[in-house]
Amino acid sequence: MPDRSAPPPPWTRTLARFRWPLFVAFTCLLPFLLTDVWVQMLVFVALFIVLGLGLNVVVGFAGLLDLGYVAFFAAGAYTMGLLTSPGSPIDAGLDFWLILPIGILIASIVGLLLGLPVLPLRGDYLAIVTLGFGEIIRLFLINRDDLTRGSQGLSAIPRPDLFGYRIDSFTEWFYFVVAAAVVVGFCTSRLRDSRIGRAWEAIREDEDVAAAMGVNTTKYKLLAFASGAAIGGLGGVIYAAFIGFISPAAFSLQVSIDVLAIVIIGGMGSTPGVILGSLILIGVPRILQFRETSDFLANLGWLRDALNGLISALDAATPGSLGRLPPAETWGAQLADDTRFIIFGALLVIIMVVRPSGLWPSSRRRLEFAHDDTPPPAPVTAP
Amino acid sequence: MTAAELVVDGLGMKFEGLTALAEITLRVPPGEIHGLIGPNGAGKTTLFNCLTGFYRPTSGAIYLTGQRIDGLPPHVITGLGIARTFQNIRLFANMTVLENVLVGQHQHIAVGGTDILSTRRPVYPTPVERILILRGFPRAAVNGIIEIAGAIARPPRVRTAEAAAVARARDLLAAVGLRGRENDLARNLPYGDQRRLEIARALATRPSLLLLDEPTAGMNPQEAAAMVALIRRIRDEFETTIILIEHQMRVVMGVCENITVLDYGRKIAEGPPAAIQRNPTVIEAYLGTRAIQGGGHAAP
Repeated sequence: MPDRSAPPPPWTRTLARFRWPLFVAFTCLLPFLLTDVWVQMLVFVALFIVLGLGLNVVVGFAGLLDLGYVAFFAAGAYTMGLLTSPGSPIDAGLDFWLILPIGILIASIVGLLLGLPVLPLRGDYLAIVTLGFGEIIRLFLINRDDLTRGSQGLSAIPRPDLFGYRIDSFTEWFYFVVAAAVVVGFCTSRLRDSRIGRAWEAIREDEDVAAAMGVNTTKYKLLAFASGAAIGGLGGVIYAAFIGFISPAAFSLQVSIDVLAIVIIGGMGSTPGVILGSLILIGVPRILQFRETSDFLANLGWLRDALNGLISALDAATPGSLGRLPPAETWGAQLADDTRFIIFGALLVIIMVVRPSGLWPSSRRRLEFAHDDTPPPAPVTAP
Repeated sequence: MTAAELVVDGLGMKFEGLTALAEITLRVPPGEIHGLIGPNGAGKTTLFNCLTGFYRPTSGAIYLTGQRIDGLPPHVITGLGIARTFQNIRLFANMTVLENVLVGQHQHIAVGGTDILSTRRPVYPTPVERILILRGFPRAAVNGIIEIAGAIARPPRVRTAEAAAVARARDLLAAVGLRGRENDLARNLPYGDQRRLEIARALATRPSLLLLDEPTAGMNPQEAAAMVALIRRIRDEFETTIILIEHQMRVVMGVCENITVLDYGRKIAEGPPAAIQRNPTVIEAYLGTRAIQGGGHAAP
């Protein structure tokens, strides 16, 4: 019997009900509290939240391991770039708000193109094929240089206007991308709680049985690929408009891996998990690059002394020499530069060891009903 | 739901030289509880897999109330009225009990648009027909977009359909004796309840023919007796034809009106329980050549 002892106090219920509005309101205060570099960092975090939410549909909901997610991101970004960059052969000078739906549509078509051939594949095989697909798109962008200008990339992509007002500063971009993330988060959570979401979950749990229960697995797998791709395309359009310059180098396998890592570190299928994952995977490496960080590390003189002591002790005990840490003035900067990926990698390893199901695993949603408040009768056994 | 008639005509299933089923001919009249027995590896589950579209039979035909169904994809066959349970329980383990039943109702939750990919297709499409099926693709895409839009906007129509589905799922769970477990994860249910949940999930698809693969496997005599009562009640209340694979002879003889015996992929006997028990071919298949002697569990 499920435990239904004491109901939670009313204020926690209110808090739980308004947790998302409260969180968004808090997020909107951030630009007032932080400097520009931090806000810029948060724009990237929010952008990767959008991408993470999109991949979450494919990997988290439907359980289709997709290592080529960057393809859809690139499709969206190049739609924006090709239609607005002065360097592009098909520059149409279209408005951002017109390109947004076009980019989403093109990305979802690319998603279907990927989805169709991989329909019969599962697990590892699917991962390998999608991996190849992502690379194909990147190489296509490099090699079709008559269209995409190859590795030179497309530059001077204009920034969007909103009600005649240009979205320009980091703070404005922050609000814009956060708004996009909120819309996407709302859509994906609605999808998860619908017949589609249940069909995806059933496919993830057991594809054959899902089919035996009447789920058209072909249709729902394609829908998962297409919706995930559409969100990736949205992220791509926004990215191109924000950065103003795109080239194939920005759409490497690393992006796919980052987004997948966001989903997995956060907890598959979980929206708060994607937010946390993006903060850690996209935020932390950038924070480690900040001047404040190296200043902060430089002030940790005791840490340097302790490490030096350890090294001399090791030197004394073993033949050969291990060298010394850099002098106190530069060691902060060097620590942040040289070792940030070691620190970062170690952090990821620790997270996955301590919390294998992710930082914030998706909570099993409980469908609540009025008569749940009455105590349930004893289970009826057949006579 | 009205109970369906199943006709299997000369069905054969070969896996690269291995003949799993050969020349199976079978007729199960509407509303009958039909037993399917045979030694291990006789082809009972293979027959179920052919009936539900998991396998495409290599020869013969299957008719459900007159309509030919072999070669159709599983979800279409489910839509036409065949539901099944699995020998080794295959629930959606990480979904709740209620959600499991809701997935079973998938095709009965209205979301707008018609499900083009689920509509009837030619049984064995020729290449030309395949292209014609693909021509339905734009409509399927439009329907997909409508369904996604409905899920996001959640208009009253979708809310009503969801609420009705939840109410029906609760009724089904109550019918199999799982009231009060709706929000438990399926994998946390005790074994017997998992079998009951599988049946509730199968009933949620509104079957006219229910295939039960060893519904009492691993149950003690009391539990098995309760399951037998449940099976009878399902046949009466839900008006379905039922075919069950079963090893416990007490169950088979007690609940089935007719029995088909398979051995090495062939039908070796068919008839009412009393006749099957005395049939020398059946006794030989079970006791004669294989080593189930001295009152093995399969013996009557």
